Amino acid sequence: MYVGQAIRRREDERFLRGRGRFVEDITLDQPIAHAAFVRSPHAHAAVTHVDTAQAAAMPGVLAVLTGADWTAAGHGEAEGVWPVKDMSGADSRTAYRPLICVDGVVRCVGEIVAMVVAEDRHQALDAAEAIEVAYEEKPANTITAGALDPDIPLVHPAFGTNEVMVTEHGLKEETEAALANAHHVTEVVVPTNRVTAASMEPRAYLGHYDRVNDRYTVWTTNQAPHIVRRYFTKSLHIPEHKLRVIAPDVGGGFGMKLYHYPEEGLVLWGAIVCDRPVRWVGTRSECLLGDTHARDHHTVGRMGFDENGKILGVKFETLAAFGAYESQWQASITNAYHFTMLSLAYDIPAIHTQVRAVYTNATPVDAYRGAGRPEAVYQVERMIENGAQEMGIDPLELRARNLIPPEKFPYQTALGITYDSGDPPVLMGKIKALADYDALRAEQARLRAEGQWMGIGISAFFDMAGAGPVKMMNDLGAKVGCYDVASVRVHPDGRITVFAGSHSHGQGHETTWSQIAADRLGCDIDHIDLVEGDTDRVPMGIGTWGSRSLSTAGMAVYTAADRVVAKAKRMAAHMMECAPEDLDLADGEFTVKGTDRKLSFAAVANASYHSGDRPSDLEIGLEETSFFDPADCTYPSAIHLCVVLVDPETCAVTLRNYWAVDDVGTVINPMVLHGQVHGGLVQGIGQALMEECAYDAESGQYLSGTFMDYAIPHAEDVPSFGLDAHFTRALGNPLGAKGAGESGTIGAPACICNGVIDALWHLGVRQITQPMTPKKIWRAIEDAKRTQH
Amino acid sequence: MTTPRTVELVVNGEHRAGDAEPRMLLSDFLREQLGLTGTHVGCEHGVCGACTVLVNGEAARSCLMLAVQAAGTEVRTIEGLGGVDDMHPLQEAFWEKHGLQCGFCTPGMLMTAVELLESTPNPSLDDIREAISSNLCRCTGYQTIVEAVQAAAERMQGEAQ
Ligand code: FES
Ligand code: FES
Repeated sequence: MYVGQAIRRREDERFLRGRGRFVEDITLDQPIAHAAFVRSPHAHAAVTHVDTAQAAAMPGVLAVLTGADWTAAGHGEAEGVWPVKDMSGADSRTAYRPLICVDGVVRCVGEIVAMVVAEDRHQALDAAEAIEVAYEEKPANTITAGALDPDIPLVHPAFGTNEVMVTEHGLKEETEAALANAHHVTEVVVPTNRVTAASMEPRAYLGHYDRVNDRYTVWTTNQAPHIVRRYFTKSLHIPEHKLRVIAPDVGGGFGMKLYHYPEEGLVLWGAIVCDRPVRWVGTRSECLLGDTHARDHHTVGRMGFDENGKILGVKFETLAAFGAYESQWQASITNAYHFTMLSLAYDIPAIHTQVRAVYTNATPVDAYRGAGRPEAVYQVERMIENGAQEMGIDPLELRARNLIPPEKFPYQTALGITYDSGDPPVLMGKIKALADYDALRAEQARLRAEGQWMGIGISAFFDMAGAGPVKMMNDLGAKVGCYDVASVRVHPDGRITVFAGSHSHGQGHETTWSQIAADRLGCDIDHIDLVEGDTDRVPMGIGTWGSRSLSTAGMAVYTAADRVVAKAKRMAAHMMECAPEDLDLADGEFTVKGTDRKLSFAAVANASYHSGDRPSDLEIGLEETSFFDPADCTYPSAIHLCVVLVDPETCAVTLRNYWAVDDVGTVINPMVLHGQVHGGLVQGIGQALMEECAYDAESGQYLSGTFMDYAIPHAEDVPSFGLDAHFTRALGNPLGAKGAGESGTIGAPACICNGVIDALWHLGVRQITQPMTPKKIWRAIEDAKRTQH
Repeated sequence: MTTPRTVELVVNGEHRAGDAEPRMLLSDFLREQLGLTGTHVGCEHGVCGACTVLVNGEAARSCLMLAVQAAGTEVRTIEGLGGVDDMHPLQEAFWEKHGLQCGFCTPGMLMTAVELLESTPNPSLDDIREAISSNLCRCTGYQTIVEAVQAAAERMQGEAQ
């Protein structure tokens, strides 16, 4: 059995030797031209004049293109894949992100106004600087909290409001009644900070048009190459069969590389216009500005408890930033992934939530690792923490009293979602033991007596992963079918190529998909190769996002492999003159049960392609494809616990310990699982303590345009993690796997914030917005002192 | 002013030459002129460390160095770290300990770790964390990288004895 083994990754050698092939590394037999972009320096402005004459005459320049050229060519825009209705039943007020400014108004800093294509990058950049653009500045707003206030400038005046849509979910009356009858009500304002994925590889695209054969190719840093073709049918109006999309090695995605970014469409346009391959590689500043941002909710919450700390009901009102335009998947966050998960790991009888999505003059927001669930966990867990502190009940004990008991599974939440399996009390027991919780509380009391500020943070949650099923996701708004695809091709020599519609950009599919296939096919893992990320080679795919690939593409591999085995058994049975049911397949050989008669899998594969002596109804060849539509989403769960120390002198936070106990169902490769959890945790730590996409409130200027200003955690900022696990099987797929890509980012921000609040509660501090920098902590302590006096 | 000049240097033990405008970065020179695309550019402003190479034995950010400044130096890049049939103990240890996910930061991490182990053969875990804090990784959470460097150090110590 390969499944369950921590085998080292089969893809690693090329990366270790510097032989990875990223978009920036691709060479072609034609010289590649380069694109550079002129971007709006203003958050909101009318573009009154664009003068390209000087740039067009500069050395090496092949083309200078503007929005007017785009419109003249008849090109379109990138359409969303998750359009949603307002709760009134009307369409939401949708304005998709244009690839290039076409209507004479720029609505956020960084919006593209013109493109230069030149022989080399420096010539392109020089010429871009020579383009003169005249702007007339307009008032701008980048702040989510006030976006619907009366005097706030409108991002899209035609809508008459900054509201994209309003949606409500849950049990309104029951929740109001629960709050009215509660023994204690906690109220907290909990904004989640705007962050960005900041994958280490910047976004990059290479476009090519083969005029003679009328074929287009795009090499892209994308997580879902088949979906890229769909976008191009609307932006450049290219039929799907004419476009080959290749996502080669991609250096991290985290959801951010799921979209049809302006530069992706524009380089292919440039390639068509110039009849030359054209590449763009983002600078870090362009990426921090232009990559989708994430989170940025402004939430007011109220939670009611009975006298024993049992949660009776919780109500949220949220403003959710969309930025200046609706990015392609953004509505999936507000309308599928956020509200659904607000019950976390708790048995809460009444929940009601209202979300108003808003436009601001800021970079579009879309999914980033966790997408809606980190916000949900932060919102709920901050209420629970403050409630426990206010009621004087130990925070872990209060949580334990509210966990969903195992006998209630499958558990339907007050929001209508049903968690198939899980056992939160076991997770709680494990983390309590792992962290030696009682000893930590004793240590905290001791340190506090000495004037040291130690805090213990906890978060407990469920994740909704593994999207689809197709129908369920359609019902939640998806216009892409949330299944995935794999083909298993057995070659005549018995060796195997697996083609999968997922895309690995760090997840290790070449290893884990091969583990699954090798077990099903009874073969050596080294007899399997994996192909992903090429729409001309892989039949179809929905791509890798939302912790979905294992329970969709991985299961398609599983299912297609089983179909191959069933077919091969028929051929083998014919050759061995027995019934297919009498055959076992293991170690590359078919054996007739109870005998020593054997036939190699390779011999059967060869006969499948080359022998005329076969069952009359058995088709030649040995290859099967599965389009796998899961029976349900998956619901991984976890509990996190951390220890923070806040320095009374500097207010700096040291994250001393971090433990996590995960239930991800069946594990394919524990090493890969731990890697996923670790990486997610560090991104969550970044959100809690240092990361923020900041705008100047006055001018709308972007302030986080370099890695000096956008701080992501270094090795020294984070501890080693203590992990444990408890597995309950997922019911929606044959392997019982739940997916594990997002647990860390979902749970860590809430856990750490709760830890810092716990450390400072005795000083009167009740809430600090993320990132909890020393300055904000100092300010919160000073404010608390003032209100107490 | 922007006339290219020929830059000659030794890269991974081989004498190499290529044309570079005065403004060309060493990272671009290695990637574009010499075809050594293992050196990655993650920020081009000196923070992420993805572009780290060794120049005369010392870790340097090739995005902060001009190609012309590297004329006459001895440069080591990821491509020169392992042999044809074997790999450097650090590469092996990164593989065993899962010290990489997407692999984009990996060449820079490895070259940083090479410098550490060449100057400090027996580093503590804190030494390792401090040394690799010059580089950003967005995938791994660093723990497995720290463990990999420690494992490589132990193996190299064992081999040296
Ligand atoms: S690319 Fe040189 S430090 Fe980031
Ligand atoms: S492995 Fe992806 S950035 Fe380090």
